[in-house]
Order: sequence, then C-alpha cells, then structure tokens
Amino acid sequence: MNSLHLRNLSRRNFLVSSSALVVGSYAYTTGFNPVFANGTQSLSPSVYLEVGADGTVTVTCHRSEMGQGIKTAVAQVVCEELEADWDQVVVAQAEGDAKYGDQNTDGSRSIKNFFVPLRNAGAAAREMLVQAAADSWGVAPDECEAREHAVHHETSARSIPFGELVNAASKLDVPTNPTLKARENWNHIGKARIHVDAYDVATGTATYGADVTLPNMAIAVMVHAPVLGSSPLEVKVPDSANENARFIGIEKINAAPGPIGFNPVGSVAVIAEDTYTGIRVAKDLEITWSESPNRTFDSDTFQQSLRDGVKSTGKVWHEVGDADALLSNAEEKIDAVYETPFLSHAPMEPPSAIANVVDDSVEVLAPVQDPQTTRNTIVGVQGFAIENVKVTPTLLGGAFGRKSKPDFVLEAVELSKRLKRPIRVQWQRENDLQYDYFHAPSVQRYEATLGEDGMPIAWRQRTAFPSIMSTVAAPNMVEPANWELDMGFTNTPYRCENQSIEATGLKAGVRIGWLRSVCNIFHAFGANVFIDELAEKAGMDPIDYRLAMWKGMDTVQGALPSEPGHEFKIERLRNVLNRVRANSNWDEKLAAGRALGVAVHHSFLSYVATVLEVDASDPDYRVTDAHVVLDCGTYVNADTCVAQMEGAVVFGLSAAQRAKLTFKDGAIQENNFDGYLIARMPDAPSISVELVNSEQLPAGVGEPGVPPVAPALSNAIYRAGGDRRRSLPLI
Amino acid sequence: MAITMKVNGMEHQLDVDEDTPLLWVLRDHLSLVGTKFGCGRGLCGACTVQIDGTPTRSCLTTVAAVSGRNISTIESLVEQQPDLIDAWVEENVAQCGYCQSGQLMSAAALLATNAAPSDEEIDSAMAGNICRCGTYGRIRKAIHRTAEGRQ
Repeated sequence: MNSLHLRNLSRRNFLVSSSALVVGSYAYTTGFNPVFANGTQSLSPSVYLEVGADGTVTVTCHRSEMGQGIKTAVAQVVCEELEADWDQVVVAQAEGDAKYGDQNTDGSRSIKNFFVPLRNAGAAAREMLVQAAADSWGVAPDECEAREHAVHHETSARSIPFGELVNAASKLDVPTNPTLKARENWNHIGKARIHVDAYDVATGTATYGADVTLPNMAIAVMVHAPVLGSSPLEVKVPDSANENARFIGIEKINAAPGPIGFNPVGSVAVIAEDTYTGIRVAKDLEITWSESPNRTFDSDTFQQSLRDGVKSTGKVWHEVGDADALLSNAEEKIDAVYETPFLSHAPMEPPSAIANVVDDSVEVLAPVQDPQTTRNTIVGVQGFAIENVKVTPTLLGGAFGRKSKPDFVLEAVELSKRLKRPIRVQWQRENDLQYDYFHAPSVQRYEATLGEDGMPIAWRQRTAFPSIMSTVAAPNMVEPANWELDMGFTNTPYRCENQSIEATGLKAGVRIGWLRSVCNIFHAFGANVFIDELAEKAGMDPIDYRLAMWKGMDTVQGALPSEPGHEFKIERLRNVLNRVRANSNWDEKLAAGRALGVAVHHSFLSYVATVLEVDASDPDYRVTDAHVVLDCGTYVNADTCVAQMEGAVVFGLSAAQRAKLTFKDGAIQENNFDGYLIARMPDAPSISVELVNSEQLPAGVGEPGVPPVAPALSNAIYRAGGDRRRSLPLI
Repeated sequence: MAITMKVNGMEHQLDVDEDTPLLWVLRDHLSLVGTKFGCGRGLCGACTVQIDGTPTRSCLTTVAAVSGRNISTIESLVEQQPDLIDAWVEENVAQCGYCQSGQLMSAAALLATNAAPSDEEIDSAMAGNICRCGTYGRIRKAIHRTAEGRQ
C-alpha cells in the first residue's frame, strides 16, 4: 500500500454459514476514484455516484459513519431513484473535499440536508441510462422504464442491463432537473436495511482509526498536561526506556496560545515502534508542567457559581406579561432547581489518527466527523496548500460529537512533520476522558404559580451553563448562544401569558463541546420534571397536564427563525405523546411495585416521547421497559431509526443513572470506566419503538431520542414512591 | 524474551518483553487488529479474546501468562461459530461496531458453555462488555437467535 486513501467498499447481505466464504471488502487504492478492472468508461453524473461498465454502482458517502447508519441510508436513497439492484451497490467513503458540500457529520442532519441532492444524483443517472437505451432502440425515452438494474421497453419486450448502457449514457448531458419518483413508488426509502458494514464488523475486519499500519510508521502515545493551558517544561526519560530499542524518543507539544478551538493541548508524545512500548515509557516519564490559570478550576465550586447564576435575573430572551410581579406576590409558588453535571462522550474507540507528512503535504487517515474542517484546520496550523492536504475518514468507533474536533489529528500531523515519517497517534482512555470537549454542566431554576384550574398563570425559567462558544470561538463568549438556548429552552413548548425566559453563562476551566443532543439533555430534564411537579400540584395526570398546556397552541417559536418546512408543530408533539400513552398502557393500573414516567421533547426538528417503567422494589429503580415514539418526518432506513432510538435510551440512561465527571485543581478525577460509569447490559431495558408514518420533510434521528430519557426516569422514580430527584445522575 | 504462543490454531514465536499485554501482541506484532483497545484496564471488554475457551481481557493479560495456551480471537470466529456471526448480521446489531469483536467473543464463550441462556444469564455473562451505542437489546436477541438455531 502506497497511499493513505481508503476505499471502504462495503456490501451487505453476506451471510457466512458456509464458512469458507471470506469477503475482502476493503481495498486500498492509489486514487480515490473507483478504477474498474476493464478500464472502460463509467457513468458519474454526480460526486455521489458512479456506475461502472460491469454494472456495479458505487455510492460515495461523504458523511462520516459512526454507527448512525449513514452509509446504508445514503445508498438506499440513491438506489431508490436509480432503480438499482441493492445487491449491486457498494459504498465508498469520501475524503474531505468541498465538492461534496458540507461534510460536518453532526447535528443529525445528513439525511435532512442531502435527501434531495442524493435523490437528484440517482434520478439523473437513471434518466441518462434510460435515454441511452431509448437511443439504441430508436424509441422515445418515455416508452422506457428503469427497474431492477436495467432499462426495459415493455412493448417490444426488450431490456438492457445498466452496465451495458454506461458507455453511451456517459456521453450524454447530465439532466439538471431530473424527475424524482413519486412517494407511492418507493421501494427502498422507508424500508429496513441491514447496515452495509454489518458483516465486516461481525468478523472483526471493519477498519477504524488505529487499524491501519503504514510502512515505517511509528506510534505516538500521548501524555497530556494535567491542567488545560499547561505546557511541558522538563521531561526526564527513565534509563530503562533509553535501553529499549523500540523506544524512539519524546516530543514536546506546547499548548497553543489564544483561543482553545481545535488546537492540540500541551503534551509530551512518546514515540515508539509499537504501542505498548509507548504506553510503558509514558507511564514512567517525569514531567514538569508550566502553570496555568485553570489550575484553580473546581467543578463543585463551578456548580455553585451556576446555582448562584439562577438566583438573579439573567439575560432576558423572552418576556410577556409580568411574571416577576405575579411570582413575587403569589401566595404559593413552585420553585425548583434542576442540575446536571459534566459528561464525556467516551466513544469506545479512543481518539487515534494517522498522518504522513512528506515535505509540505500530508495525508491523514482518521476517525473524524468532519474531514473538511480537519483539512482546513491543518491548512491553518501548518500552512500547507489545501490541495496538499488529504483527509479520509475511517469508520468511527463511536463519536457522539467528540470526533468533530480534530485536535488529535493535529497532533499526528505535527509529529509526522517533526519525525519525517508516518505517525499514528494513540490516545488511551485516560487521555480521552481528561481531554474531552465536555458536555456542559447546567443549573436551571423554574418558578410558577398556578391558577384555580391548576394551570400556570406566571412562569419564570432561568438556565446557567458554560457556552460551547467560549471554547470553540472566543474565550469572552460566555453567554449561552441563541442556538444553544433553542435546544429546549427558548423554544420551550410550555408557554404562559406571564412568562420570563432568562439565561446566564459562565466560563469553565476545561474545554466545552457538543455531545449527542447537546443542551437538549439538560433543558429537557428541567422542563419535563418541572411539568410533572406542576401536574402533581394541580392533581392532574402528567400527560393530561402537558396536553392541557398545549391547548389551542399551534406552533412554537424559539429565538431563531424556523427553517422552512420545519416549524415546531404542537400537533406533532401531541401525537407522539398520545402514541406513547397508548403503547405503554399508561392509563392502566400497574402491578404493585411498578411505575411509569414520561417525558416528551422536540429536538433536531424531530419529536420524541418516551415512557420508562421502573421496578420500585429495586433500590436503584432498575428500568425494565422503555416505550419510544419518534416522529422524524420522512425516514430512510426504518431499522436504523429504531436502532437509534434503542441506543438513545441506553445513552440517555448512562447520563440519567450514574455518569458524572468532576474536576479538582483543574484536573479530572474520573479517568476510566471505573469512575465514569456507563450503562451496561444489565441496565438495558426492553425497548419498543414506534416510528410515526409521516410525509413531512426528513429531520434528525441520531440525537433526538436522548433528551427525554433522564426526565422520564426521574418522573418514574417519583411515581414509584421515591423522592423528587432534580439532579443528575439520579441513582 | 522469546515467547511461543498459539493464536487461532497457528504457532507464533515472538521476541517481546514478557510483561507485554496480549492485546498489543495481537494488534502490533501479529496484525490481528480485530481485537480492540478500549480502556487498558479490563473495564470495558473491547479487547476480549478467548484463552482455552475462557473469555479474557487481553489488555490485562501478559503474553508470558498465555505462553503455550490456545488463544482465539475474533478473526477465528467465522470458522468457530459462523451462525453467531450470521445472527449478529441478521439482527443488525452493530452501530459503530467498535466493541462488537469483544461482545462476540464473550457471547461465543457463553454459548459454548450454555446452549440456551436466559436473559439474566446473558446479562451476567455480558456485563463486562460496554457498548456506548447501546446495542445491548440486539445482542441479547442475536444470542437467543443463535441458541434457537442450534436446538
């Protein structure tokens, strides 16, 4: 192999009961474009798709695959319009290149943003193949039909396979406005498909960041500064290391001045011929670090500052009526504070990246969510010309937002430049937890006073958390941004004629980033537990109370304008709540010792309602069953949507039950899975998922299942006879 | 030191320090990269292999401790229990897939000793394998599916 270019050509439907069948579905090529064995012309009307003369359809997935099934979904969409045979489609992973459009795989928007472009790509190819067939028969194209990987002329009972049409079709103009298939004719979109990488994963042959070895490559095991902002001063290498022929040396990387952004933090890299040599030497280094103002950072003190932040008026984002006066004069009000801690993404694959710098160019192979940003950041830091920087994503062994920040890639590039050889940076779990871009902790305060009908007549809500912008943009951007607040706070569906919505920001001494569902996690928690508290005060059922709050409401407007076709509709929120009520048998009496809790939330333009059932006889309130209803508009892979809801319940339970990170003297206290407690198999409930059959525009799937989980658990615990738990983690 | 080890039925002679974890011998010296690094402390199960049939965390097991023993990795599962791999594919278990080699090796060891495990037995046997994507329910189904297929 003489190039980093990874062509991850994945097929599906390989079953291996005949164990002799071994499918080598990875190929490393010297260039990205598919090369067909016979060297003939291929049909490529779009950057997303190529049809070879052998009929093979190569769909290029420009979004990163981290388990959300995008490679499969992209292929389904293209296949639909092309009328291709699913078994003749392979999926290639695109490198970072602006020609593909946005490649920033976060925000649950791959299908939302590329559904139409991908359909157009497939439809354009189909029309060209049909035209080529019609030309060869001397008939009109509208007498011909593409289906099952061939073009057919029914009246003369003739057909030509796609592959045989490729040469002629490739000489035609690409139609700019191809006709898309009518929804009632869809065969692929909306169906359940097994992921294209399923077989490779199950046989251990799927390729992640650390799985590729280049000739002459060395490993860099990182020792990061204990406190953000520190740089290495003196490094003492033990004699035993210097006697080890596999130990190459150490390299110091200083913390970058200025905004934190995606820059590497201060570190000492241990360069070795193999990973374990690096790990062992790293353990025995004696390093002195420069001072950093972040050394005083303490998460308990910070949490107290957030609590103080919601005691008084913050920046007012929405104000109607006079909530302040009504709350001050109320005879009785409900006043509750909700808290959530620092969390880490902790993908099972710790960050790892390969870089090969040769002169003033570099090739990178790494599990990154955004190869274009990675590429542009390398250009900015190293000054290479952009055409000399190639970044190709491997499969991502989980990401959840972590791997949209390419700090670990920049380490590999810098080290390869210094060492003049290919470098694979390997983080250990301790590095990963220590230098995550953490999910922000938060404190929210909700106050309301109720009228005689039990419904609120005055309402004030305040949130306090450190803004992501203070890490990724500028240190002085401490106020929560409008897009952070529109994650379940300024776009709350709980409205009142006297209402004030306020926010306060504080700067943390560690990096803050976006984690799957972002601010929706804490905002859905506060809002959904508070609503249950109000329902109890009003003597009403929690679902009935929510429905009563929405009476007469049509749409919700947040701080930012809605995207056209993606208005936040109460009707859809009400529908998922009613559906989960039915699916969970909410209104039936439960067996003794069982209790249900509910939460509903709109995020990433989708609507999710979740009911959790807990075992009240268990002191840890084990969750036995989960019922989820998702309305994400039009969906592509039905099974992926179900899987993402299942995964979201478990991901949400980690945060709900036991996950919490703390910092003392600027340093993280939980550095592996014995301190940072992730949900395990015995924690996983039986999960049922209903997908709303919708013809609305496609919306998010990967993230919106997470936010309702923690509040549903808190509400279930209370209804099981437990105390009202307002602070995560709950157990 | 010179170590002799038997991996997936093949003998290997290696010159590595005796305290080297089996994980890194598999990945860096034998190019068997299906076994994954997750935590380095036996807490997550991503590195699970079988040693004489027993599921074992290869990140904590030194190469000296397995000298002469039979080591099986994910790369051999397609020959040992192909129906388990089929079940994993048919249930569409994997999301990101990174932990699944370890999950499969734990599941294979469970099925080798318990032909029809209950949910509770599965939970107990699999509790050492973390899946951050949360595929636990489908792992249970795939194990049951395999067991039923063998009845």
